[in-house]
Amino acid sequence: MENYMLLAPEIILALVGLTILLAGLLIGTNNKNILGYIASAGLIAALCLTISNISVNETMFYGTITIDALSQFFKIVFISVSLLVTIASIKYTEGNKNTDEFFTLLLFSTVGMMVVASANDLITLFVGFELASLSTYALAGFEKNNPKSIEAAMKYFIIGSLSSALMLFGISFVYGMTGTTSIPGIAENAGALAASPIGLIAVVMLIAGFGFKMALVPFHMWAPDTYQGAPTVVSALLAAGSKKMGFVAAFRVLVVALAVLSPTWQTAFAALAIITMTLGNVVAVSQTSIKRMLAYSSVAQAGYISMAFVVMTPMALTGGILYTLSHAFMKTGAFLVVAVVGYMVLSDNKNAKDIDHIDNFKGLAKRMPLTAFSMMVFVFALAGIPPTAGYMSKFILFSSTIESGLVWLAVIAILNSALSLYYYARIVKYMYFLPASGGKVSEPVPYAIAIILALAGVLVIGIWPEPFVYWAMEAAKVLMI
Amino acid sequence: MIPLTYYLILSSIVFSIGLYGIMSQRNGVRLLMSVELMLNSANINLVAFSSYNDDMSGQVFTLFSIALAAAEAVIGFAILLSIFRMRDMINIDDINILRW
Repeated sequence: MENYMLLAPEIILALVGLTILLAGLLIGTNNKNILGYIASAGLIAALCLTISNISVNETMFYGTITIDALSQFFKIVFISVSLLVTIASIKYTEGNKNTDEFFTLLLFSTVGMMVVASANDLITLFVGFELASLSTYALAGFEKNNPKSIEAAMKYFIIGSLSSALMLFGISFVYGMTGTTSIPGIAENAGALAASPIGLIAVVMLIAGFGFKMALVPFHMWAPDTYQGAPTVVSALLAAGSKKMGFVAAFRVLVVALAVLSPTWQTAFAALAIITMTLGNVVAVSQTSIKRMLAYSSVAQAGYISMAFVVMTPMALTGGILYTLSHAFMKTGAFLVVAVVGYMVLSDNKNAKDIDHIDNFKGLAKRMPLTAFSMMVFVFALAGIPPTAGYMSKFILFSSTIESGLVWLAVIAILNSALSLYYYARIVKYMYFLPASGGKVSEPVPYAIAIILALAGVLVIGIWPEPFVYWAMEAAKVLMI
Repeated sequence: MIPLTYYLILSSIVFSIGLYGIMSQRNGVRLLMSVELMLNSANINLVAFSSYNDDMSGQVFTLFSIALAAAEAVIGFAILLSIFRMRDMINIDDINILRW
């Protein structure tokens, strides 16, 4: 008898998603606000259940699903991001007749990411990956009368489906050479794969497939366009949630299953990490759209996290895993701030164009002090300034890189961090030192709650990191068998 | 019995056609067809390996991936349809509001 309580978070979210879809048929557009509250309640329940099972280690359903420290850690990341996005979306979807579809897709994509996090079999992994991807394709095109949103969805769809095709092709070779789709089984039989040139093809295809999701250069082309064009709350989900799905899949497949081939993929990740962080930061400097700037900064952050694949010591993996948690809070928070500013601009002038332009941040400290302060904390956290979550995770990641002798890699990463400070500080300059172009505006309550929660996450991880570091270490231990 | 290599050569040809299609075609529907070719080349691989390894899980995987490919095509056509409603064409070269 399986212990279904361990899968309760996924089951609850799927059921809540279906309930919302059905309820949406029965209630009128004006009452659809309640659906957002139902979704938030479901996510909070799932979060509590996941936290209560944090130190479980079990495999279920003939070894296709595993519940361990790594899966629980990433599930909490996904549920937290989804919760913040859901709370903010209560305001975003107000008065929209497709509110029910929005929340259903949001919950389904969260379920997909959670399935990927606990997948112990390539079939499960692929199905979860596709569930999350398909839901987010539709979410990116949610504003179906907005040409930018549709364009974002189309670019995301084409590149995303290309990446899943590449991934499936890679998986088929892995299956062919090892004769099994189970991840521990592949780890046992990976010798045959390592001995033949097909192993190299498979690894390249898999890195390309995951790299598209993680938005590593040169697979990043879709990310800036999609993050800019998609509704801002959806960009938050993509940048903070669906990107992490690529990382957890890569941890499971490359680090656990294909550990024998590590020389191959470590070299690949070293090159990818360096060009990713450099290109992301250099291009971000010249952006005038805040969403696009955050997108490139998110590309650069993916470069830092993938350093964990190059170094591969327990401490570096801890740093990488902790970085995904802190990046989730920082990035969601920053995108939600952009969403609030967009809301403010639209309430000033209904026909405003370029609502994500940096000029709209002028004098934000006078117009919305709380939002401006939170944005300052988020961008400083992204740059890695203490006492924020970004500092803690960068410190662990970079110091472990130096300890393992890869000083050149750490130097490049630190130089990049310094460069990134330029464009982060520019936002702070716009918010605090330039004159405001309007009166004081009060933030809508759902946005304010979501931003405060993200702010709390960033500061708590930064000021009191011990439990989170310990917990990331437990997750890293799963990878180091 | 047909050697395994033949299947692998077939699948890599189909895969390359799909990849070429994605890079060269500008019509949205043709792009979707190319993606389907790439997914099906992986399916050929899975079934061939499954039959030569005497292991069923490859065929199960193929069934899953066929279902997912269908779902993917539905989402893709929905997105193309909403582009078509807005602009009366699905030539992806002309969809270029977002850049740099």
